[in-house]
Amino acid sequence: MTLDFSTLLPYTDVILEGLVTTLWLTVVTTVVGIALAVVVAYFRDSASDTARDGRPSLVGRLLGGYVEVIRNTPFIVQLFFLFFGLPALGISISAPVAALLAMILNLGAYTAEILRAGIDSTLKGQHEAARALGLSRLQSFRHVVLVPAFSRVYPSLISQCIIVMLGSAVVSQISVFDLTYAANFIQSRNFRGFEVYLVATAIYLLLAVGLRLLFEFVGRRLFAYRQGGSA
Amino acid sequence: MTDFTLWDIVRNLMLAGRWTVVLSLIAFTGGAIVGLVLTLARMGGLKPIRWLIRLYVDLFQGTPLLMQLFLAYFGAAVLGFDVSAWTAASVALTLFTSAFLCDIWRGCVEAVPSGQWQASRVLGLNYLQSMRHVILPQALRLAVPPTVGFSVQVIKGTALASVIGFVELTKAGTMLNNAAFAPFTIFALVALGYFILCYPLSRYARHLEKKLYGAGIR
Amino acid sequence: MFAFAKNRFSRRVVLALCCTVVACLTALSAQASDLETIEQRGTLRVAVPQDFPPFGSVGTDLQPQGYDIDMAHYLADQMDVDLKLVTVTSANRIPFLQTDKVDLVISSLGKNPERAAVIDFTEAYAPFFLGVFGTPEADPIDESAGLSGKTIGVTRGSVEDMELSDLAPSDTTIQRFEDNATTISAFLSGQVSYIATGNVVAAQIAERNTERAPTMVFQIKNSPCYIGLTQDNDALKARVDALIEQAKQDGTLESMSQKWFHTALPDDLSS
Repeated sequence: MTLDFSTLLPYTDVILEGLVTTLWLTVVTTVVGIALAVVVAYFRDSASDTARDGRPSLVGRLLGGYVEVIRNTPFIVQLFFLFFGLPALGISISAPVAALLAMILNLGAYTAEILRAGIDSTLKGQHEAARALGLSRLQSFRHVVLVPAFSRVYPSLISQCIIVMLGSAVVSQISVFDLTYAANFIQSRNFRGFEVYLVATAIYLLLAVGLRLLFEFVGRRLFAYRQGGSA
Repeated sequence: MTDFTLWDIVRNLMLAGRWTVVLSLIAFTGGAIVGLVLTLARMGGLKPIRWLIRLYVDLFQGTPLLMQLFLAYFGAAVLGFDVSAWTAASVALTLFTSAFLCDIWRGCVEAVPSGQWQASRVLGLNYLQSMRHVILPQALRLAVPPTVGFSVQVIKGTALASVIGFVELTKAGTMLNNAAFAPFTIFALVALGYFILCYPLSRYARHLEKKLYGAGIR
Repeated sequence: MFAFAKNRFSRRVVLALCCTVVACLTALSAQASDLETIEQRGTLRVAVPQDFPPFGSVGTDLQPQGYDIDMAHYLADQMDVDLKLVTVTSANRIPFLQTDKVDLVISSLGKNPERAAVIDFTEAYAPFFLGVFGTPEADPIDESAGLSGKTIGVTRGSVEDMELSDLAPSDTTIQRFEDNATTISAFLSGQVSYIATGNVVAAQIAERNTERAPTMVFQIKNSPCYIGLTQDNDALKARVDALIEQAKQDGTLESMSQKWFHTALPDDLSS
């Protein structure tokens, strides 16, 4: 066997369709997943008023359970459970919805942990000082805890979003027409598995690089005011 | 047609779970060895070598593990190697693990203050001696928690070997589901299996991290 | 910071990398095993399904069983060699053959032009009718235009996938799954209301799931199963063809059909 990429040409539109799906899955997941992580981090933030006695609240503990379950089970199993298992309980969700849900739950859990590390390193006194100055709990969480935590963990956040984008390759297994599904489809038509997967892998690599550059650009804008002083 | 009791399902999942454990151990051990060699080569090597290793790490961190498995599986045959699902999964997961460990460990070695290097060189130790007696022992302490943490990713990564037909916990789950059709129970049990394997490691990694940073080493 | 390069070590790494690259570039082709190789080896390697009852599925011990597995045993016995079963999915059974991981594919393989371009087929050894199946309440469909607007699950790369992709109207949604187990699960979970598969497979699902028994609403085509082997492997093909003919004559196929399909073979397959 020799490599022959010309057999891929008739399938350009298939690859494009898959690429578009992978892109929108990633975009929606990034936005909703990070929002979810902020909510989770807020309720788990031991310094906020949700935990007056110093121990996590019930909600905090439940969210902790969610984070642990997601982090300690494989994405593909979560996907199968949502797609095949839930209908047995009468909850039927379509393949793209199951994929999106699984991706959001994943990014949410990992990002919540990343944020927590950032929040933990915020000095407790700052939070208390903000409250004493008359900021509400939410205001203080947002300005004193969250934004500094975000800028501190931003590099880890970028990596996590890329990991979730790459992990989305697995959604092809429940028939979501993403980039990997496109590659599999072409492989089953022209039997040129190696060439197809090489091309798909290269596209993923470009996506990862592109995503990183985009995030770094956004990060420079978002946290520009902090770079001068604290760095 | 054969009927499956809950015990049949649990028993088969546990039997298949052995292969998840074995594959994880192979990937982790292999990945650690390759990762160590790469880390050392990267620290001491010439520029082109450092550049090549960085490319290697970026390639594995920038592409989906699923694609790496597909390529190992179908690609090796194109290159003339006869590769079984076992070999393909072991090789792909080993390389994947080595790339991530190499990156984690490089960070740990670099976290050792450069004064330590200069001091050991002044004391007359050569590169390997300084590495072995001064840098590595310090880097090792920093490296243990993230390494244990990453082992969880390796175990979860083995689930993707199911896609190329390797019969481990996840594959056994889909096979059993086809024969017994109880998706909710079966996939919940599969998830539980992974949780039992991964959670103690996650906890242990966090404990080590707290101990390390709690002791004030930073 | 770490500028103390060890040149000897580096050079060895470069050398090793060069060797690897050269080894990759020479790209040896996988040599197919012919009849002689198989006899010398003393083992026949056969790709069989493990997610496609009654052709091949797993028992409570997770060992494969079914019509295809019995066929593989029959061939190995007659050729007087050991049998090595390799379980495959629909999607990877042809790559397995192309890359010489197996000698034969006995995996309810249907014939189509795409496959005929890359592999060879023996005579037919099992009956198979492809159709679109729905729930018991689903209305029958007379012609392919009736598939319009429906969502149909199918196993990627199977004959039914190819056929359906050709004949379904453009507004039919075809959801392709990696293997048969996943396709069937999707139907049983209610994730798809229709699946395209074979009659015997549907009958098998119906036997175990009476409340969601797949019922044929549209017949796609008669597509008997063939044994797949690499191209230009004439001696092996002749040997297997002769054994299939013998199995038709001596009633082996008929009894396998009774055992796994609970029905007699159709006329075009019986002697």
